[in-house]
Amino acid sequence: MGHTESGDEPKMDQPQPPSAEGWQPHIVAFCCNWCAYAGADLAGMNRRQYAPNMRIIRVMCSGRVASGMILQAFVSGADGVMVLGCHPGDCHYRVGNKFAEQRVRQVHELLSLAGIDPSRLLLQWISAAEGELFGRTVDSFVNQIKALGPMGVDE
Amino acid sequence: MNIDGILERHAATKCVECGRCTYACPAAQIGGDFSPRRIIEDIENTGKVPANKDIWLCMTCMQCTEICQFGVRFHEVIRDIRPELSRVLPAEENHGGVPELMERLSSMRGIRPNKQTWVSEGLETDLSSDSLLFVGCTPYYDVIFRYLRQDLLEIPRSSVRLLNAMGVRPKILADERCCGHDAYWLGDMELFEKLARLNVEAIEKAGVSQVIAFCPECYTTLKYHYPEVVGKLDFEVRSLTQMLGVAVEQGKLQLDPMGDDITYHDPCRLGRHAGIYSEPREVLSAVSNLKEMPRSARMGACCGNSSWVNCGPKTRLWQLERLKEAAETGASGMITACPKCLIHFTCAQNESVQLIERPKMPVTDLHVLAASRLKKGLVNPAGESLHS
Repeated sequence: MGHTESGDEPKMDQPQPPSAEGWQPHIVAFCCNWCAYAGADLAGMNRRQYAPNMRIIRVMCSGRVASGMILQAFVSGADGVMVLGCHPGDCHYRVGNKFAEQRVRQVHELLSLAGIDPSRLLLQWISAAEGELFGRTVDSFVNQIKALGPMGVDE
Repeated sequence: MNIDGILERHAATKCVECGRCTYACPAAQIGGDFSPRRIIEDIENTGKVPANKDIWLCMTCMQCTEICQFGVRFHEVIRDIRPELSRVLPAEENHGGVPELMERLSSMRGIRPNKQTWVSEGLETDLSSDSLLFVGCTPYYDVIFRYLRQDLLEIPRSSVRLLNAMGVRPKILADERCCGHDAYWLGDMELFEKLARLNVEAIEKAGVSQVIAFCPECYTTLKYHYPEVVGKLDFEVRSLTQMLGVAVEQGKLQLDPMGDDITYHDPCRLGRHAGIYSEPREVLSAVSNLKEMPRSARMGACCGNSSWVNCGPKTRLWQLERLKEAAETGASGMITACPKCLIHFTCAQNESVQLIERPKMPVTDLHVLAASRLKKGLVNPAGESLHS
């Protein structure tokens, strides 16, 4: 997924007014450096095709993803956010993914209070060997967000 | 934003640079490079907004305006220079910016907030009611600050209980947004206007004649700042704390005394901003022996932080000093009427601040205390029993 500087690409910091016609969801994926990001690499090396709606933000650990970062993604126009980390017990920093789990739980609660469908935020464990799972997760999440429609329009 | 005329607008040209404001100012005492007097002087000399990040330390608690002999409304000067300042030197957000982001999310037109999950059994609400209870951000704070205390939702619950005891079955708005208080005082007028319009639209659609707020920030924002953007409101805004005080004074609300010594911390929005001093004291005197702190009422010290920005170790020292002041009155607990004061003082006691004696002072919300002291089997003024 290449980034171009052409004016056609929607900018994440300027949410486009959502229109039902030709709308494509914007997805932000926080991938941990050691498992999920390597899983994405593997999906690429295996030529696994998956939905192109996603922007990956590489973080050193899913535990780095603060609640504010997830909410900032939504405020900046994301329609869905994924937090992808190592399987429990496999964290490179031993317990980082536990923190991620706690924070995602907190944000789920905040989203449902705000009237936003909590399924717009997904937490998934993907190891470096699971390129196929990575592709499948992205595809199914994109379909789910497409079914929910643009964020902030009559939830 | 143009800062021309800012000094004239807020009577700051009358400043004689006596420095009383700086002595009274909590932000100046917290430290850093902040002095109300000098900021006026800087604007006067340069005609520009001083590039000083410590302007974010100001809690807009109005202590400076209160003490000024010449009527300078300094906290309004601060409010008006912040839009400009946030472009040059943005505020440092605390708590990962989560409270501010929730405020922003709640301003999206299409979403329907669902904050009534706190309504528990035995609370009587009524969709056809003429009175509306504005809940504000407390349900969000319950999620964000659950690691500090687990009882924040008791504040809206107790508020409904108290209203029931006064014979009011409040309506609760389905799509209530954040009131926009923090956006207003941090100078994000665009966000504030959006929230104000959405809320006023929803309240007017609900067709109520009065809106009751337990949170002093919601109260002052709705009452004084919404008319600035939407014009005259079609409904009356009332403070629950004030209603309680009046009801206790008139004998319409009876509370069981508990006899403990307690002290009261005046929230700045309820006290200096709205001028409500005697009513909370009325409620507290009915249930306990009220011991006043040296800095109380008009000279009440602020809880140390506002709008969740630029909190630091020195803020915590200020809060601990205030808790120590409360302990020195001999009181066994401190009561406040603002959810933010409650969170800040709880945080100050939880945080491991080194090299200072840390007083243990339980902090309780006034509404929670009053609701826990309600006399059982109460009959409302209409003669109809609400607790059958």
